[in-house]
Order: sequence, then C-alpha cells, then structure tokens
Amino acid sequence: MSLEIQNLHVRVEDGDEILHGVDLRVAKGETHALMGPNGSGKSTLANTIMGNPSYEITAGKIVLDGNDVTEADPDERARAGVFMAFQYPATIPGVSVANFLRMAVNAGREEPIKVKEFGDTLRRNMEMLRIDPQFTKRYLNEGFSGGEKKRAEILQLAMLRPEIAVLDETDSGLDVDALRVVADGVNELSGPEMGTLIITHYTRILNYVRPDFVHIMLDGRIVREGGPELADQLEAEGYEGIRQEVASGA
Amino acid sequence: MALSATADFVEERRRALEVYRQEPIPHWRRSGFWTTSLRKLRLDELEPRRYEPVGALDELPAVVAEAVGEPTELGALLVQRGASAVLSWVDPEVAEQGVVLTSLERAVEDHRELVERWYMRRLSEAEGKFPAATAAFWTGGAFLSVPPGVRVEKPIQIVYLIDEPGVAQYAHTLGIVGELAECRVREYDLAPDFEGQALHSGAFELYCRAGSHVRLAHFQDWGAGEVHDVSTKRVEIARDAFCAWTPIHLGGHLTKQTLDIVTAESGADMRHKGVYFTEGSEQLDLFTTDLKEQPHTTGDTVWKGALTGDSRASYEGLIQIVRGATESHTYLQTHSMLLSPKAKGDAIPSLIVETDNVSASHGGTVGELDDEQIFYMMTRGLTRQEAVRILVEGYFEEVVQALEDPALEDLVRRTIAGKLAAAEDQVVEFVAERG
Repeated sequence: MSLEIQNLHVRVEDGDEILHGVDLRVAKGETHALMGPNGSGKSTLANTIMGNPSYEITAGKIVLDGNDVTEADPDERARAGVFMAFQYPATIPGVSVANFLRMAVNAGREEPIKVKEFGDTLRRNMEMLRIDPQFTKRYLNEGFSGGEKKRAEILQLAMLRPEIAVLDETDSGLDVDALRVVADGVNELSGPEMGTLIITHYTRILNYVRPDFVHIMLDGRIVREGGPELADQLEAEGYEGIRQEVASGA
Repeated sequence: MALSATADFVEERRRALEVYRQEPIPHWRRSGFWTTSLRKLRLDELEPRRYEPVGALDELPAVVAEAVGEPTELGALLVQRGASAVLSWVDPEVAEQGVVLTSLERAVEDHRELVERWYMRRLSEAEGKFPAATAAFWTGGAFLSVPPGVRVEKPIQIVYLIDEPGVAQYAHTLGIVGELAECRVREYDLAPDFEGQALHSGAFELYCRAGSHVRLAHFQDWGAGEVHDVSTKRVEIARDAFCAWTPIHLGGHLTKQTLDIVTAESGADMRHKGVYFTEGSEQLDLFTTDLKEQPHTTGDTVWKGALTGDSRASYEGLIQIVRGATESHTYLQTHSMLLSPKAKGDAIPSLIVETDNVSASHGGTVGELDDEQIFYMMTRGLTRQEAVRILVEGYFEEVVQALEDPALEDLVRRTIAGKLAAAEDQVVEFVAERG
C-alpha cells in the first residue's frame, strides 16, 4: 500500500493556485514529515489527499495502491485506508464520541463490530491516550478544548487503523504533556502496518516522533527532501534560511 | 350542530357562534414571502363525525397504538376520534390519588366547579374565526385534573385522532395541575394517510398551579392527508411552578398554531423546546409567545426545524415582558435547516420589553447543512447519505433529549428518521450539487 501524489496542482474553488506541482510518495511502514511555514500549502495538500470539495485539482494525480483516486469521494478514500487527523475538526452536535466511533468503525467493515470487541478496543485506546472514560459520552468536538480535539482525532486514528495516516498540524496548540501523549500514541500506532505523513510547522513534534523522511514545502512546492537531518538543519536555520538557500540555487 | 347538554355553556357557545359567523376565513400575511391562507379549505364539506366508544387501542387505526405504545405504561389515556371521546381510562392507582382524565363533556357534569372556574381562563372566542369555532362547536374534549400534592410518574396521555376525510374536529383540552403536584402530560394529534380534507380546530389550556412541576409534550403527525390544523395552545405557570413544554410537529398539510407560555407569577420557570420537520408541500406557521407577567420569572426557548421538498415553515417567537415584571430572565433561539432548494423557511425572534432590570436575548438562523461537517464525516468512511442522516438527527437531538421521556423520544427519532429516509435522495443530491 502506498499513497502517491504526482505533479499535483490545486487551487481553491474559483481562486488562486496554491499547490504548483507536488510529488510525494508515502508507503506503508514509513514515517514522513512535511514541514512548511503558514500559507505554504501544507493543509491544502492534506485536504486534497482526502478529497475536500473546496479544493480543485487542475493537474496531476493522487494514486492509492496503484488506483487513481483523484476523482474519488472522501468516503471511498477513507474506506480504501486513508485517514486524516484534522487541524480544525468539525463539531458534530448531538452525536456522542462513542456513537460516532462506532459508526466510523462499521463504515469500513462488512459486518458490524461486536459490542464487546468495540468496547474493549475503545477502552484500550483511551487508556493509551489517557482519555477520561466520560469523554465518550460528550458530543463530538462540542465544547472540546484544543487538546481534547487533537486527542479525539488520534483516538479515531487508533480505532480506524488506516494504512496511510495524514496528521495535519496535530501538534499545534498542544502543551508539552499533551504533545507527548499524542506522540506516544502515534508511535504506538506507526509500524509496518501504517504509513504516516506528519504535517507540521514546528520541529518540536519530531523530538518525539522520528521521521524516516523529511520534506520541506515553501509556496506550494516541495523544495527540499532528505532524512531526519533535514529537520535538524531547519531547526538551526529556520524557514528563512532554507528559503534563501533555495533562492540562491544551492 | 349539537350543543353541550349543560345550560351553562349555551351562552358561551352562542357568543362564540356570533364571532364565528362574523369573522371571515382568516388570511395571515407577514412581510416578505409569507402568507398562510385557508382559502383552499372547503369548510362546508366538513362535519363533526361521531364514533362509537371502543374497548381497546387495537380497535382504532394502527397509528394510535404505534404512537402511544403500551397502555400499561400510561397513568391515564383518553382518545377522541373525530367528534367523540371513544376511549377513556385511568390507572386504578392513579385514580385513587384523585387524578381525573375524562372528556370535557363529562367533566362539565362531574367536575362542574373546576370546569367553571378554569374553562377559557386564558383563551377567548374573540381571538378569531377558528378559536370561535372551537368554542362554539367543541364536542368530546379532554379534561385533566391532578389534585394538589399528587405525583403521577406514568405519562398522562391524550390523543386526538382523525382517520377519514370530511371530518371537522373541534377539540378542547382543559388541564389543571394542582399546587405542588407533579406530572407528565402528552397530547398527540394523529391521522393515518388518507386522501381528502379534514380540519382540526384546537384549543388547549393548561394551568400549572403554584409549586407544581409539569412536563408537557405535544406530538403532531397528521399523516399525508390534507389535514388543516388551526389551534391555539396556552400554558399558564403560577408561583414557583415549573413547566417544560415540548411541541413536536412532524406532519400536517397546513398548520397554523399559536403557542403561548405564560409565566404568570413570581418564581415561575419554563423550558420551551420545539421541533418541526416538514416535507412535500406541507405548510407550517407557528407563532409562540413567552409572556412574562410578574417579577422573577425565567424561561428558555429553543426551536429547531428542518424542511424538505417544497415545504414552507415559518417560526416566529416573541418574548414579551410586561410592565412590572422586573428581574425576569429569558432566552429564545430558533434554527431552521433547509434540506431542499425549493423549501422556504423563516425563523423570526422578536422582543417586547416594557420594564427595566430584565435580561432577554434572542437569536434566529436559517441555514443549510455545513459542507465541512459533511466532509469531516466522509473522511471517516461514512457515505454522504449517512453523514446527512447523522447530522440532521444530531441537530434535533438537543431538543429530543429534553423530552426526558424515552418512549416518546424513540417515537420522535423514528418518525424523523422515516421522513428523512423518504427525502434522502433529494437531500443528498441537494448537498452534493451545492458542494
């Protein structure tokens, strides 16, 4: 299983082009970090990978396990094994966390999950993410703090067990303790069965989750690619340093 | 038209009949696109139809048993079919506490003093042609009395049933919940699907006496026939009493209702949460008033609606705080969700405050399903159809849970789910095209 993005050009509906030809390949078992400053197009890429109708692909392809899914609906992509943890997840009034999780888990299965199996899995994952059991009774994201929203996203990741996970700024807005819990969760779930694309502005999360590959995005293009040492370079030089390097053709 | 056997009401009925004769068929018009007109109602082809009493619910059309559930779960049950009270039953234990649920016709004989004291205290035949018609022509009717200090756990159930075209049902419910009494009252307006016209002209008055605690629910599903419902419902809450009133409108060809909740004495408190779901070419026109008459009264009103097909629904909610009702605090919110490009909805909150030192806030929205919510749910593998269904059902959940009545909550959820399923293709197409 792999996610391949080929020469992707994307614009907002009736607006300017934001991504100007992005190539990226994430395979099962790999952890990638996509780093970039605000407005570089990171979230646009994440949303386009999931098929958000607010973004329009004008050229290029998204290929999942050899199948072109460029035109597929978001739910088809999800059922094919792609997951995105949202930077700003939507609030779903009137639907409890537990109910929502059950519906999402069942959406990817032929037979509905047994009540006990669901309960056990949920309990285990909540313990891993240090989430209070009462949490599942609340309406999804309604009145949640920033940290609770992020944990709820990772809880969904843990329950759905996708093959490719895109984490869109999951680290932003978390204090160090919460970041560690979330990062531990991601580490626990990563492995040979999941490919992970961590999208982030900061290098901070990379102290806890070690990527195999680092990609730096500026102005809608991936301008640098490398191993974990690239994150260290970024930490030292900042985006401005990288930008000057790119401008000077180095 | 048969008048009540009791001489006391003949004068009232005559007076009402005068108003009825003088008033034209009303036509309600408001700014913008809204009008509610009864000009297609062929009133002269309708008649109050009498029915024989029945021994059990299964002798009535299935809609009644389906909605009411197990009679053993009820504290009392009264069914009016057309113009006749056909079934009346009170749980012996509840009866022993002195609780009365009977037809208003009977109550005029058997509980004359109470009826004379309370009948039409907060209603008037002068309010218009249909209030006058109900006051002049009512038959059967429902009378509820819960004596002071009595607590009834099981719901007290009233049903108005119309099961054929051609029927005019003039319905009057009078309820008195005594001081410090506690109870739960349900009134259902039901009809099976049929072809042709019918009329429900209703009057409802409930008096919650000092310190009482009442949960009141109205559930309306008039089916697919051309049932016209023109009703006035009024609840009065006395000193330190509490009433939670939840009207549920889930079907009716044309409905025009005035729903007023009066916190009439200090310390009176109310929750008023309503739901509507319109489909096809239904038209719903609701006007509610949260009337604060004395200091230190409180309230909270929330209405949520959804519209499919080319239905039209208008909700107008007024908060009125009269002179002297200081230290009153109240809120009103109304939301209307359009699930079809052809549906038209209105959500109009308004405010008349005639005194100082009060707080009153209100807000209204008319919106559509949120694309970001749908996208979010689809990224979890749910289809667009499922996402729409979950969002609409979730939208109503706040109000449905406020019923605090599991059997009725199930009925409401089931009915909304059925209506949504019937409109599903159309709703999903609307959502997808918009996206």
